[in-house]
Amino acid sequence: MKRTLLISILALTAAVANADTIEMKVYGLVCGFCAQGIEKTLRKNPATEDVVVSLEHQLVAIATRPGQDIPDADLTQALTEAGYDVKAIARTQRSIADIRVELKKGAK
Amino acid sequence: MKRVHCLAIAGSLLFGATSVSAKPIAFAHGATVMAEYGAGTMKEAQVFYAPKYFLSLGAGYLELESDIDHRRREITYARANYLAKRWNMESAQANVFVWGGAGQAYVSETNDHQFTGNAGAQFDYETRRVYASIKTDWYGASDFSHRIDTLQLGLAPYEHDYDTLATWVVVQGRRFTGEIHDGTEWALLLRLFKGGGWIEAGVTDDGKLQAMAMVNF
Repeated sequence: MKRTLLISILALTAAVANADTIEMKVYGLVCGFCAQGIEKTLRKNPATEDVVVSLEHQLVAIATRPGQDIPDADLTQALTEAGYDVKAIARTQRSIADIRVELKKGAK
Repeated sequence: MKRVHCLAIAGSLLFGATSVSAKPIAFAHGATVMAEYGAGTMKEAQVFYAPKYFLSLGAGYLELESDIDHRRREITYARANYLAKRWNMESAQANVFVWGGAGQAYVSETNDHQFTGNAGAQFDYETRRVYASIKTDWYGASDFSHRIDTLQLGLAPYEHDYDTLATWVVVQGRRFTGEIHDGTEWALLLRLFKGGGWIEAGVTDDGKLQAMAMVNF
């Protein structure tokens, strides 16, 4: 029973660790309400697993569910329809957890 | 882009100070509930829903009571807010909002209800340290016409982020037309917001309470 639980936790951890992260540079992020609207919009996408928004770094990062992606055009459309300008989109290997830690440290 | 910065700075200098006022549209598919108590002369409550980031629809209640002769208006209205222009900059945002609506008002002098029109506009400029806004809001009926002009300058002692409490010190200047208040009513406010919640309170130069609470969800 314990072994099954341990294997499940490890499998889940590995899946999260390997999840693709999409990082976007977004202009116009100046207040918490901006971030709230963007997070709400992106979380509606079924491929979205987690979202991080940093006003300081003009960053919107999305962890996608394993094996899933969100096309750039859809991301740009979602952010544009939320009222913001997407300046760059990159897919990285940084996990959302790492991004959160780096943001807390104040690293770019 | 530089023109927008210059315009905001010029506005701040022109009006001596400025601050932040709530935007009539928070975000797409979001609802906003707001209540304001304005130094005894003005009480307002609004509920809006934004189907798009540039449009919100809703209703409000505005009570104006003159501190000169105690004439009173109780205005209930439906309104549409439209984001006419937005500038998204790397670390700043500026907006031009316009709105219009209609409703009815109780008029104390005639003791009747009258059809009321409403129109207004707002320009705001915001970074994480400075917020400036200029707003004009007009209400008119057959027996009255009132314009409420509000200027605000907000300064934040530190740059907040999404997961931290935002703190602002706001100076507000407000003028009413139509014998509601004589001269400019100045107020010093402390504004706090985090997540979808916003609360502010302060005092006017007459020592009266000025307060507002807002929730976006």
